[in-house]
Amino acid sequence: MAVDPVAVVEDLAYYTQMVNTITDYAVIHLDNEGVVRSWHAGAEHLTGYTAEEIIGQPAAVFYTVADAAAGRVEADLRTATAADSQVTEGWRLRKGGAPYWASVVLTAVLDQSGPAGFGMVVRDLTAGREQALMLRSLEQLVNSIADLEVIRFDCDGLVRSWNPGAQKLTGYVAEEVIGHHVSMFYNEDDASSGVLDREMTGAARDGSMEAEGWRIRKDGSRFWANIVLSPIRDDQGELAGYVKVARDLTERREQDQLVQRQRDEILELSTPVIQVWDKVLVLPLIGTLDSGRAARLTESLLERIAADQAEVVILDISGVPGIDSGVAQHLLETVEAARLMGTESILSGVRPDTAQSMVHLGIDLGGLRSRTSLRDALQLALRLIDARAGSRDEAGIRA
Amino acid sequence: MPDHSAIMHMGQDLLVILHGDLDDRTVESIEREVTSEVARTSARGALIDVSGVDVIDSFVAQVLARLVRMVRLLGAEAAIVGIRPAVAISLVELGASMPDVTTALSAEQGMARLRRMRADNSVRIDHGKHC
Repeated sequence: MAVDPVAVVEDLAYYTQMVNTITDYAVIHLDNEGVVRSWHAGAEHLTGYTAEEIIGQPAAVFYTVADAAAGRVEADLRTATAADSQVTEGWRLRKGGAPYWASVVLTAVLDQSGPAGFGMVVRDLTAGREQALMLRSLEQLVNSIADLEVIRFDCDGLVRSWNPGAQKLTGYVAEEVIGHHVSMFYNEDDASSGVLDREMTGAARDGSMEAEGWRIRKDGSRFWANIVLSPIRDDQGELAGYVKVARDLTERREQDQLVQRQRDEILELSTPVIQVWDKVLVLPLIGTLDSGRAARLTESLLERIAADQAEVVILDISGVPGIDSGVAQHLLETVEAARLMGTESILSGVRPDTAQSMVHLGIDLGGLRSRTSLRDALQLALRLIDARAGSRDEAGIRA
Repeated sequence: MPDHSAIMHMGQDLLVILHGDLDDRTVESIEREVTSEVARTSARGALIDVSGVDVIDSFVAQVLARLVRMVRLLGAEAAIVGIRPAVAISLVELGASMPDVTTALSAEQGMARLRRMRADNSVRIDHGKHC
């Protein structure tokens, strides 16, 4: 290959100038023995040595003491010679001994007369390495969470990351979901009614958003999910996506519901409404009457009134240990509500001591009719109904 | 307003069916319409069906009690029908249980009550004459 010597000299000047402008890299020329032969601003910036200090020094000064002692310098030069070029990463030392994580490209240089040393390009990757390690540790952290779905999706709702917990929870593997819209985990009603949009807007506005609802697995089955949605913002504070953490609470929900059902059943058992005659209901009250039970009792009584079109209801209190003003208030409210629907009430089972204590407590039952026994109360109920029916018949005859 | 009420004639009685959302303006026109209809037809009773009213709160309860008083002033009896269980409970909780108003479970029962009230009244008047 014929090389014009003048051109080489000019090129050399040009390259030297170019290398001098590089500050992010150190571009160093070593001779065949690995001694530093050129230096520039980038190299000084990276290592801290000035040209006067370093030119003529062996490359071993850049290596850690252990590496240098183990013959790494010679080994690297040999590898570069054999393979023309060698790319490595490793710890190197600055002036003063501070280590940095370096990416090093070592290239054997040849001229017409044979080997002419090495070109060494060094880059400081310490910050990048820290960041990479941080990212990797976060990723490992997320991946080690097997019971939680921790995923990331962008502002458009497209899934960007997926963890083993998400796979365990939903049955999808990463390849099946990354790039797909998160609405695939919502049932049709929720997806179309904008539940997801509301969750995303809420999270972006409040900094975090917690919700519960049914979500869909790959096999089509559903699970009751508790989700926490947090927005991800970039350095400028712009919304860059969301992180979603989801838990499967199906079992807990089922247990809650079972407890609620059993509680309802117990209440149901404790507030029976009996139809004793056409249009006559009896509500035998047994045990203590707290406000929860009283509300439930009023509700079931009124529903039965509506269903049976009952005209009279008998509230039998013979099984209630004592009537205080609270219980009396509950009873009167039930009577009022029944009257609003058009049904008359009769109190029955009032014992002498109950009558005394009620009057002493100043409990006023208003116009509520009262009888001592259920039999008397039933007779009164039938008379009331007869009277009404009679007027109806009369009216019918007249009309 | 025709949107919020319909009045039907059943013999000597009127059946007033209220529905929808009752606000100040509609209430005024309902009162106007019901009173003028009772007067025009010399109705003996008015049964007000509220089963189609969206919300029955203490305001509507007051309106109903007022309507009943107006009808009575015009010489007719009035009763309210169609209060559902949940509505009855909430009215009692609100302390708006309309103590002077007659209520009924069904239109049939309501009509019977109107007639019975009329019968009671006429008996009382007859008694008054005799004694």
